[in-house]
Amino acid sequence: MFRHTMLFLGYELGNVRRNPAWAVLGILQPVLYLLLFAPLLTQTTRSGTLGEALRMFTPGSMMMIALFGSMFAGFSMINETRNGVLERLAVSQAWRPAIILGRVTKDMLVLAFQALLVMGVAVLMGLRLSLAATLLMLLLMAATGLFAASLSYGLALAIRDENGLSQIVQFFALPLTLLAGMLLPVSLGPEWMQTVARFNPLYYSVEAGRSLFADRLSDTTIPVAFGIFAVLGALSLAWSVRSLGKLAG
Amino acid sequence: MIIEAHALRKTFIARRGRGKTEEVEAVKGVDLSVAEGEIFAALGPNGAGKTTTVRMLATFTVPTAGTAIVAGHDVVKEAAKVRERIGYVSQAGGVDENAPGLENLLLAARLAGHSRKQALVRADELLATFSLTEIAGRPVKTLSGGQKRRFALAIGLVNRPPLVFLDEPTTGLDPQNRANLWDEVRALRDQGTSVLLTTHYLDEADALCDRLVIIDNGLVVAEGTPEALKKEVAGDVVTLRVDDLAAAERLLAAQPYIKETQPQDDALRAYLDDGEHNLAALLRALEVEGLAIRSISLDRATLDDVFLRHTGRSLRDAA
Repeated sequence: MFRHTMLFLGYELGNVRRNPAWAVLGILQPVLYLLLFAPLLTQTTRSGTLGEALRMFTPGSMMMIALFGSMFAGFSMINETRNGVLERLAVSQAWRPAIILGRVTKDMLVLAFQALLVMGVAVLMGLRLSLAATLLMLLLMAATGLFAASLSYGLALAIRDENGLSQIVQFFALPLTLLAGMLLPVSLGPEWMQTVARFNPLYYSVEAGRSLFADRLSDTTIPVAFGIFAVLGALSLAWSVRSLGKLAG
Repeated sequence: MIIEAHALRKTFIARRGRGKTEEVEAVKGVDLSVAEGEIFAALGPNGAGKTTTVRMLATFTVPTAGTAIVAGHDVVKEAAKVRERIGYVSQAGGVDENAPGLENLLLAARLAGHSRKQALVRADELLATFSLTEIAGRPVKTLSGGQKRRFALAIGLVNRPPLVFLDEPTTGLDPQNRANLWDEVRALRDQGTSVLLTTHYLDEADALCDRLVIIDNGLVVAEGTPEALKKEVAGDVVTLRVDDLAAAERLLAAQPYIKETQPQDDALRAYLDDGEHNLAALLRALEVEGLAIRSISLDRATLDDVFLRHTGRSLRDAA
């Protein structure tokens, strides 16, 4: 079982290695946000420095790739429901959950790699990060990616239509982004907004990211975010594996 | 018998708009038995239930009712054991087009339990068998239709299965690639592999398979060797077009050498043996009756005539 997951992971990473351009292009958006949006925020911070703006904004921009990058992972799987790849794998000796697990693990690794690049750019711009915070942030990105990618595979298998999936992702993306405080902290907003935000799981990962970047490693937001995403990740993973089993009708 | 299926049925619940569902009976009760080392075809129009039948036998789809023993194991209760002993090449092919064919093959080999080294050896063998060695490193999407199909076949054979399912293996291929694929399927049989293929091409079933079933509307309507099935109809067939079809039908029925007549569109198809000799007698009879012939032709009976006899329509019109 573990062997099959590793085989699928190796195969998927091979595909990424052959076309690294896509993974690298994926970080363009958060980097542009860091370069062109973070400086606009310096006035809103207490000290009015770019360093503080980066501390506040970088975790949000990173969660954007965790959300957007992973939510689109399902597109490749819609194609695979049509080109017969999943059909063939379903009647091969492959352990079925490994088909999803291998792909999700690939998505998490790519995300961690992208996160590292984004943090590198932020550090070059003047952000200071401890090693512990960096490592925990990578883990948090991976946990968020686990949830978003499995959800995307599950949606792909349930909908099996590119237009449908893209509409659903677009529909949820903007409110989730704003209500997670990815661009600006929700704490700047009115009370009702802060209440609504508490129902958005991404709010917790952004908050945990900000705590990490501020080097408040004992902040409760961090274990809360890991806990939420461990549960959500397991649920969405189980759902997508189940959807795979229903492929045959 | 490498396949023994009894009364296989599959009903799908199809969604029809808001909250409404409809039961679709894709397969209504199929019995099949395929002997070891045989090329067996399921011939039928699109939508007849061929693919669903194959998917049930290959453990992809769970039957609604009925039983099937494939390669010695029950397809429902021992699906994992069946999967070890079959190869399955779907209509869509199942090759990841973004990766090189070799990577596809290696992954399939390793999933089948080969070590890294064994997988390389097996992939090399298959690449050589299907003349794919030189293009093994190219992304599959850059290959031709025939080359993709050969990769699909190679992947299906990676675990040396005693039984291979080929769902519409030559659909969309040009005549040259089709002929090559037929040779490859025959080569498989010669090595002792059993093959179950589906097709809607009459000539393919006729030329390639040892035995076949004709499937229409989810049911088996005829079974046998191509020769025996055709012989049941007749050796030859006369296609006759005249102005007065009813009169011609009466006349044909009165001829002792005509075994059967089937109307088809604006023509009549009359079945007879020894057509070369009897055609002359038929022409005389038509002349005596004063029926003006618009056209007449004599052909060998084909599997389409078998299909016509059992379903009342031509396979060409049935799709």
